[in-house]
Amino acid sequence: MSQSTTYVPEPALVKGNHTFGSITALIADISEKPAPTWWYIAFGAANLLLGLLLVLIGYLVYEGTGIWGITNPVGWGWAIINFVWWVGIGHAGTLISAILFLFRQGWRTAINRFAEAMTIFAVICALVFPGIHIGRIWVAYWMFPIPNSMQMWPNFNSPLLWDVFAVSTYFTVSLLFWFVGLVPDFATLRDRVKSKLAAKIYGVLALGWTGGNRQWQNYEKSYMILAGLATPLVLSVHTIVSFDFAVSIIPGWHTTIFPPYFVAGAIFSGFAMVMTLMLIARKLYGLKDIMTDDHVEKMNLIILVTGNMVGFAYIMEFFIAWYSGVTYEKAAFINRAMGPYAWAYWTMFLCNVISPQFFWSKKMRRNIKVSFILSIVVNIGMWFERFVITVTSLAQDFLPSSWGYYSPTWVDIGTYIGTFGLFFTFFLLFLRFMPMVAIAEIKMVMPQADPHHYDEKHG
Amino acid sequence: MHAPHRTEPPRLTADADPSSRLLILAVAGLVLTAIGYFVDHEQFYFSYLAAFSFVASLALGSLFLVMIHHITRSSWAVSLRRIPETFMVNILWVAIMFIPVVLGMHTLYHWTHADAVAADALLQGKAPYLNVPFYLVRNVFFFAVWSFFAWKMYRNSLELDATGDWGIDTLQRKYAAPGIFIFGFSVAFASFDWLMSLDPHWFSTMFGVYFFAMSFQATLAAIILVALFLKNRNQTAGLVTDNHIADVGRLLFGFTVFYAYIAWCQFFLIYYANIPEETLWFYHRMEGGYEYITYGLLIGRFIVPFVVLLNAKSKSNMSLLKGVAIWVLFIHFVEQHWIVMPVHHHHLAPHWLDLTAIAGLGGLFLWLFFRRLGKAGLVAVNDPKFHESQPHH
Repeated sequence: MSQSTTYVPEPALVKGNHTFGSITALIADISEKPAPTWWYIAFGAANLLLGLLLVLIGYLVYEGTGIWGITNPVGWGWAIINFVWWVGIGHAGTLISAILFLFRQGWRTAINRFAEAMTIFAVICALVFPGIHIGRIWVAYWMFPIPNSMQMWPNFNSPLLWDVFAVSTYFTVSLLFWFVGLVPDFATLRDRVKSKLAAKIYGVLALGWTGGNRQWQNYEKSYMILAGLATPLVLSVHTIVSFDFAVSIIPGWHTTIFPPYFVAGAIFSGFAMVMTLMLIARKLYGLKDIMTDDHVEKMNLIILVTGNMVGFAYIMEFFIAWYSGVTYEKAAFINRAMGPYAWAYWTMFLCNVISPQFFWSKKMRRNIKVSFILSIVVNIGMWFERFVITVTSLAQDFLPSSWGYYSPTWVDIGTYIGTFGLFFTFFLLFLRFMPMVAIAEIKMVMPQADPHHYDEKHG
Repeated sequence: MHAPHRTEPPRLTADADPSSRLLILAVAGLVLTAIGYFVDHEQFYFSYLAAFSFVASLALGSLFLVMIHHITRSSWAVSLRRIPETFMVNILWVAIMFIPVVLGMHTLYHWTHADAVAADALLQGKAPYLNVPFYLVRNVFFFAVWSFFAWKMYRNSLELDATGDWGIDTLQRKYAAPGIFIFGFSVAFASFDWLMSLDPHWFSTMFGVYFFAMSFQATLAAIILVALFLKNRNQTAGLVTDNHIADVGRLLFGFTVFYAYIAWCQFFLIYYANIPEETLWFYHRMEGGYEYITYGLLIGRFIVPFVVLLNAKSKSNMSLLKGVAIWVLFIHFVEQHWIVMPVHHHHLAPHWLDLTAIAGLGGLFLWLFFRRLGKAGLVAVNDPKFHESQPHH
């Protein structure tokens, strides 16, 4: 019996017949050599946007949230949309570093460092929004249950408080995980840099790493434990974020599929963001041997799968809204698809459900231009998803007399754009001064790491 | 590309084959259940539906496992794969086992009563979906699609066994990718039909995911038990090791958490929002003795397996793993009872038909399983990733 298909063996994870030494040089040289011109231009632009963010936050503190587009009943506007969007983006980093590690997915080593850095910076951007949306920013510490003489406590029944715990735990664990992974690579940089000051700084960060057997054993154990701790966080953080909406009885918000749907959406947008950043970085730094087209293909598959999960949730929501027979649910969903924000709903649907379907084709999955464009399209779609959820349900709520059309102000838009400045300032510093690929880990998955690699040539 | 040396897979020996004992169990269970029909036909249908949901969930969970195995190109499970493959082909028989559910629709599903619909505005609203002809069309479609994918992928796997043609591995992925897409939607809508529409007023967007989560947890337990059964009787020529079974144990641990996450979120969001159209479903399961099962599920289906399997060593302890797997299957059955039965009895009222129905359907399901297992190799030894799945490197 003849089949038309042929067997496709697993591709090698690192291309270009590198040696261990050339891999170290490829990655570590980036921080040793002077920064390229584009880096200074990009860093300057990011700083300008960061400045814009800080100015607008100052304006907000001075003037109050009235400078935003929020109204009554749309009390949650761009701030929560941006918060959920940035937190969601962070999730891919944790999935790559923790879950793919537990599943022994060797290909994660090319992108995990990178994605973990993205997680941390994205969570910082996310935390800006609830931090500045509280009105009286000078009492932001009231978000924490700190014993005080006024007997003032946050509402422990509120998912918004759980968010404070969930996101701060998530940030802490992600940071620790990232740092633990960096220790052996900091030692590599310490041993390579010429500047005495740089060697000292990398030396402090490397915690006295010498690469001894005992150190590696402890390292592997702690890495495993942190991966185990981070895995439930992938689910828990966005679950709590979804609770912010789903515990209420607002039509369109209260639906039981929200927790896994939000998690899938978060991984979806996070992978798209990793893709965008990775395609730029590998081109600018010439890392195509490490971040290969096979990696692009694998990531596009995850984008396809999570995109379909999100599509599944959209369809379930719509079907059950009809099936429930609840007038308000039905009205909320018809309003989404055909009401004043229909343009946003269909933008979301097109970007999140239709656009990833291109990746059923192997040719598309491996096409760099298509991957790059779609990765941006997906993140536009995921922003609109949060917009649709937040705004459509609030702008047309139970009381028709208060119905209206929500529009952002220039401050809303400027603050959102400003967070990109914050994100890229950190990210460019990371690219400049830290090893952007886990040097020690990538060597373990190189074909050359196979003890029999050099045997084969001699038969 | 072909396997370098095609080898013969180990086969089930006659002395280890439990088919004859299972056949006795199946016949005894089915005969008693049939007698039960004349004793209390309403109880018969409800007990039957719970048992049907149990066996269907194992076939569907296995279908998912085989498809995800191919999509992720995983190698570790190659030596175990024949077990879920054989389970998933049973979906053809599960389709036949569905016939009594169809015959009992009038008893099981309130929305089939024309007078009830006439008096109920909500049911009238749902009538375009919840009506007998459309229900039948949908379910015929679901079973046809599942049977198609299960049968094709099973045949391909045997073909690979027989010919050693590695190209079939690529072919399997071409079935698995669209298959899993269709699987997600069809299983969700099937679970709405079989179980959620028992209480036609109630709705939950999570229900399909909930049904999948518990099915998959139970499927992993079933695979552990069959693998241990074969290994302990020296059927697999040492190709299925404790490490392979421990890996399924690790997945069982992971999906225990996943099940708990899904089931708890569904409960919690409904509990917290506290609106009457949703809470009633849980309300019925929090009174009349069902509350013991509700709390029992929290403890038995999550806390117990979680605590026992948390330790890395416990997954390599085969007798412990066996105990956990039996327990998970038991509690999966209890959960089917807990989903189905409050619709019929407002108070917890276990019936002997519950036991005979699961003995009959479960026995039949396992008998069909072992009969098919005996006809093919027990391990896919000619799979391109078989070598990688073995521990010697």
